[in-house]
Amino acid sequence: MNIFVLNCGSSSVKYKLYAMEGEKVLAEGRVERVGQENAVITHQSSGKEKVTRTMPILEHTVAIQESLNLLTHPEHGIIKSAQEIDAVGHRVVHGGESFSDSVLIDGRTKEILDSLAELAPLHNPANVIGIRAAEKLMPKTPQVAVFDTAFHSTIPPHGFLYAIPYSVYQRHKVRRYGFHGTSHKYVSQRAAELMGRKIEDLKIISCHLGNGASIAAIADGKSIDTSMGFTPLEGLMMGTRSGDIDPGAIFYIMRKEELNLHEIDSMLNKHSGLYGMAGVSDMRDIEKGIAEGDKLCKVAFDMYEYRIRKYIGSYIAAMNGVDAIVFTAGIGENTPSLRTALVANLPYLGITLDEEQNKKRGEDIEISTPDSRVRVFVIPTDEELVIARDTASIVS
Amino acid sequence: MDIRRIAVLGAGRLGRGIAECAAGKGYDVVLFSQGAGGQDALLRIERSLHRRLAKWGITESEKRLILGRINYTQDLKELSNADLLIEATLDKMQVKRELLHTADQFCRPEVVFISASATLRISDLAKEIKRSEMLVGLHFIPPVPDVSVAELVRGEQTSEHAVAVARQIATRLGKQAVEIQESRGLVNPRALLVMVNEAACMIDEGICEAHHAELILKESWGMKQGPLEMADRLGLDLVLSWMEQLQKAYGSRYAPCPLIRRYVREGRLGVKTRLGFLAYSEDDSVLTEDEGNKED
Repeated sequence: MNIFVLNCGSSSVKYKLYAMEGEKVLAEGRVERVGQENAVITHQSSGKEKVTRTMPILEHTVAIQESLNLLTHPEHGIIKSAQEIDAVGHRVVHGGESFSDSVLIDGRTKEILDSLAELAPLHNPANVIGIRAAEKLMPKTPQVAVFDTAFHSTIPPHGFLYAIPYSVYQRHKVRRYGFHGTSHKYVSQRAAELMGRKIEDLKIISCHLGNGASIAAIADGKSIDTSMGFTPLEGLMMGTRSGDIDPGAIFYIMRKEELNLHEIDSMLNKHSGLYGMAGVSDMRDIEKGIAEGDKLCKVAFDMYEYRIRKYIGSYIAAMNGVDAIVFTAGIGENTPSLRTALVANLPYLGITLDEEQNKKRGEDIEISTPDSRVRVFVIPTDEELVIARDTASIVS
Repeated sequence: MDIRRIAVLGAGRLGRGIAECAAGKGYDVVLFSQGAGGQDALLRIERSLHRRLAKWGITESEKRLILGRINYTQDLKELSNADLLIEATLDKMQVKRELLHTADQFCRPEVVFISASATLRISDLAKEIKRSEMLVGLHFIPPVPDVSVAELVRGEQTSEHAVAVARQIATRLGKQAVEIQESRGLVNPRALLVMVNEAACMIDEGICEAHHAELILKESWGMKQGPLEMADRLGLDLVLSWMEQLQKAYGSRYAPCPLIRRYVREGRLGVKTRLGFLAYSEDDSVLTEDEGNKED
């Protein structure tokens, strides 16, 4: 069975074609600058050379058509026709309260997705455009939606409600939804496999540390809490997002700086986090700054580490224990110094790191020593594979 | 037709605001001005973006992207590439008619024309162009990037298609288009001018200082900018010109207060001369009463 995974952003389309027997990636690519005359499409089929083309791609339908053209290209492609695609799996950021699992897309699904655009205005509309474009190009192929929020639908009310008037939740569904669910699901399942244990018997804390960052408490294979909330702004300190902040400070800043809603939103989402503290949002630049003696880079790094540590502590309390901690995504996978600092600051947990293992990159790896009380893993995330698996499972 | 490139005629405050707003929403913008002030317009847009950056409203890369999408030209032949034309020149019938007539020659026949005029009737402007059914009024309110409403007006010949395009573009620029009947002065300018004129009279009569009138009006009605700052930002010469036009249409209730005439005669035109009802710093922000007195 061949599954075509699509991740449509407002001006980009990322895709992967999987052969589900053996879960092999047959081809992958991305289209950048959708909507412009100079869009760039990059494609690589397994065992073949990478192809890059620049062309006018003014809408998502054309972007997906071009990717299908390359998948079926006699020289660069890997399949003979689009009919060899058995199903399409779409990444959809927000499923609201309507979707607690992946679903086969029908007319009703699209109506609900349209109504959810308000909850994720930057992402959901683009996801839905991708769904409609793929349907137009492959009308007979089943389409499946896989939601970033779905994995967190198991969080109980005491974890997902905010302590504000209940009527606000009833009227506007303001609550914690959480994000990166597909990634948290993948790495927690993979950690259980690596431990040789059933996920239902484990308490796992999963740290997805990319430019956006979230942390999840996973007990019995289910998310019971996560740091991102109603929006991806809550929780950990991130590349350019503030994460947790006293709401009272926001009102004060707005008054003192005479900011409107758009400006404070932009400040917290785009001008804060590592960037707000140190002027750079990339953890590699922070590490470089520290090496050069930049004090603000050091403070930013310490804040970043401390906030992760606080969440780990609170999730241990929430689950009454932890069996494994998993790091994933750009910073989680590629910053050994952050993992070392975290563990060094948590002696109470009895974690010991294997420093040699901790330096390795690009593979699933256990970085704790055999005598460590809590096992620690670095697992490169693979959200597309989860989407492909869910899609295959729904259509078969 | 999918709109990607917008031509904006006029590089005054309104034209610049429309250009900045459209570029911010991803449109390529060609800004036309037949005066020598076009390059200055780009600098002013850059300053406006810098102010938004200083308030964290945009990022440095967004600022560069927005500026990169705006091109200035004096060559009307470049109108042939536009998918939509927005006219935002001074409200002078002869000037507008001539410009629209010329634009009519260069633009592709399917291109809709939008006029942002406040005091001239769309039906009158449409008389000089062949595509009279493609002309529609959409009055943007400055500061255009910040104000979320625009006044939509159809002329006697305006087609449903042109209205639909105007509504669509307003939505994409983040504005709610509210349709009103064709009339001189529309809603916002008519109401604002009455308030500005009355405030000017009170200042002229010695009832209060400009700062105090502004403070009372701004705070009591929860405005972000009071009417006097709005007038200064529009330009007191424009305010006077609008009032004179509305006086012809509606009579003495729009008779300009002598103080406004005096300020215009003295070249005290508002933000562009750094002094109007209020005083302004070099970055166009309002000076406090004490700072303003020093400037005087």
